[in-house]
Amino acid sequence: MEIDAFRAALDEWLDEHEAALAPSHAGLGTLDEEMAQLAKVRRLVYDAGWSRYGWPERVGGLGGSGLLRAYLGEVLTARDLIEAGIYSMPEVLAPTMIDFASEALAAEMVPKLLRGDEVWCQGFSEPGTGSNLAALSCRAVATDEGWRVSGQKVWTSLAQYSARCVLLTRTGDADSAHRGITALFVDMDSAGISVRPLETMHGLEEFSEVFFDDVLVPFDRTLGERDRGWSIAMDLLPYERSTSLWHRGAFLHRRFGQLLSTVDPEALDPRRVGEVAQLLYAFRARSRATQRRLAMGETLGSETSIDKLLVSTAEQAVFDLVAEGLASAVTIGDDAQSRRWRAEFLYSRASTIYGGTIEIQRNIVARRLLELGSDR
Amino acid sequence: MDAADLELFERSLRHALADHEGPGLDEALEALGWRDALSIEPQTAVAVLFELLGAENATSSALDQVLTAAAGLDDEGAACLLLPPLGRTDPPGQLQDGACVIRGLAGSSLHHRDAVVVVARDASGGCVALNVAKAELEVRPIEGLDPALGLSELSGTIPLGSHASELGAADWSAAVAQGSLALGHELVGAGRAMLELARSHALERVQFGRPIGSFQAVRHRLSDSLVAIEAADGLLAAAWEDGTPLTASMAKAFAGRSARTAAGHCQQVLAGMGFTAEHPYHRYLRRVMVLDQLLGASSSLTRQLGEDLLGDRRLPSLFPL
Ligand SMILES: Cc1cc2nc3c(=O)[nH]c(=O)nc-3n(C[C@H](O)[C@H](O)[C@H](O)COP(=O)(O)OP(=O)(O)OC[C@H]3O[C@@H](n4cnc5c(N)ncnc54)[C@H](O)[C@@H]3O)c2cc1C
Repeated sequence: MEIDAFRAALDEWLDEHEAALAPSHAGLGTLDEEMAQLAKVRRLVYDAGWSRYGWPERVGGLGGSGLLRAYLGEVLTARDLIEAGIYSMPEVLAPTMIDFASEALAAEMVPKLLRGDEVWCQGFSEPGTGSNLAALSCRAVATDEGWRVSGQKVWTSLAQYSARCVLLTRTGDADSAHRGITALFVDMDSAGISVRPLETMHGLEEFSEVFFDDVLVPFDRTLGERDRGWSIAMDLLPYERSTSLWHRGAFLHRRFGQLLSTVDPEALDPRRVGEVAQLLYAFRARSRATQRRLAMGETLGSETSIDKLLVSTAEQAVFDLVAEGLASAVTIGDDAQSRRWRAEFLYSRASTIYGGTIEIQRNIVARRLLELGSDR
Repeated sequence: MDAADLELFERSLRHALADHEGPGLDEALEALGWRDALSIEPQTAVAVLFELLGAENATSSALDQVLTAAAGLDDEGAACLLLPPLGRTDPPGQLQDGACVIRGLAGSSLHHRDAVVVVARDASGGCVALNVAKAELEVRPIEGLDPALGLSELSGTIPLGSHASELGAADWSAAVAQGSLALGHELVGAGRAMLELARSHALERVQFGRPIGSFQAVRHRLSDSLVAIEAADGLLAAAWEDGTPLTASMAKAFAGRSARTAAGHCQQVLAGMGFTAEHPYHRYLRRVMVLDQLLGASSSLTRQLGEDLLGDRRLPSLFPL
């Protein structure tokens, strides 16, 4: 299906099913409520076929270009039916499975993720390893029965809700760096895994510490080749910086629009409002071009760091305006709407941290796009 | 144009810019069919030429041609079209009491013309184009920040009739929109040229025993410059596709701000060497500062956008997938 036909048909379906899709909670829900809403929306859009477009048939998809996925997330966000950040996680996780899991495993698992029957998480960061991912130390040892995993992950988003985890482990020597990492697809109900949710500063237990104590993972759950997990992580980065960023942009668009419709116009400097709008549209223009390249079958690379830098900056700029224009909601309001603005303001502070900090993105731009050579 | 045609087109423009300047450049552009390209594929013609003009710090009468064509005036490529005064977007002429009050800026092509085309607004808000003899106007050749740009400031009040022949109705907002995109591309071209100067300097200049391009503070400035320029370029492309004055103005303002951001970072990286008159950097800074003010300054266009958004109380949906 082409994007224009898809858009028209989906918009009509969303109008018809407005009541069924609407969240049962008002304003900022608890994380449990948000997760329940997400699962409900995922199931409805999957069963009606919408979220199967843009994914290959071998994982239960209906084919068609990735633009269809980009539009689906955009319109669900624009209608305030889902929270873009958690909604977009399959945009990274599903391609990992499609590209690196065995065909049978991908065909079995991906539909569960897309339909919202399961939540998955991404276990990359560790207490000692954030930006310097290649130094990770969570260990996997090959035994007769399979991999035995021991170690710790941290800031693992939605781990406490997750049925599976895409986990990066150390399989080479301790100092093998990026040459000795293996990616595994782990069942979160395996014996030896314990999850301890962490409260974030925006007040939700969105991420967790995850402990692995001699956890058995069958060899057929290895993603890609042994010791080649680094290339998986690298191949996935452009996915992190394409469709999910388009969805993020749609969220910022909605909230900026809502700010404009609520704010006392005197409370904001018009020039600043204009600057932020231009930045947001510039991101949208850039991200649309990226979506189109992806749809044409181009391989995305380091240039997507520019998209990420733009959206991170735009998110903080939008919520800096919110903090000025709706200062009393953000600072002293305790009603549902105020709590939501406040939580989103706080969450926007992380936009320059997660998914690779803006310093790391700038390093990539300098190294790969400007070809400035080594930084030592 | 397909990729091969585009490459050929760009290469021939590049040669024209390398070999000619002033009226010679205008003739060369005419000879290689740039104005035909402008009428068939305006986006390609404008984007490629103006980015090159920006990168080469060159001047031509191409902006006159873009504005004239977009305004719907047929001039066979020979007119000098008066721009609004610095920082403004409204037409440079105002019709009142049987006369036309004129105030505006003319590009370098004025030096080789006897007349200037002035778009004037009448009391009903419609616009007409007038051909006004240069001799009828007060002309101040501008030295200013960027003498190489060859601008002149024109003013005067001309009685309608024999002194000003009417050329017909003019679509001023279309002219401003397309002129803004052209200037946006020129700003992007200048931004890229500055970045390339700073980038090669960063690779060659050694301090503390290492190329300065290995210092993260330097790398991040250059990377911020690239992000600003690419973002401006992307917004320009989307504005072409959108085709409205709103997005053209946004793209021009954003390109101006981005070029100035890049100029600041690149100057810091070039440091003492870049501060000499001998180094080409300053010519780009000068050009960027002046282009940023033509057909609306980024600061006032941006403020206006903000006022409009705050007035409308909504954010328009633009750039659909
Ligand atoms: C809301 C949220 C959700 C997250 N979800 C997940 C998840 O689901 N899965 C997961 O694996 N991880 C997740 N993370 C973790 C995230 O990926 C890391 O926080 C991030 O990569 C940065 O690592 P760090 O926090 O250890 O910071 P550090 O790497 O310790 O960096 C600290 C500071 O130093 C700077 N710095 C570090 N190295 C360099 C360098 N070479 N050059 C210049 N500056 C440098 C950084 O930019 C930063 O400003 C999440 C984080 C947040 C905030």
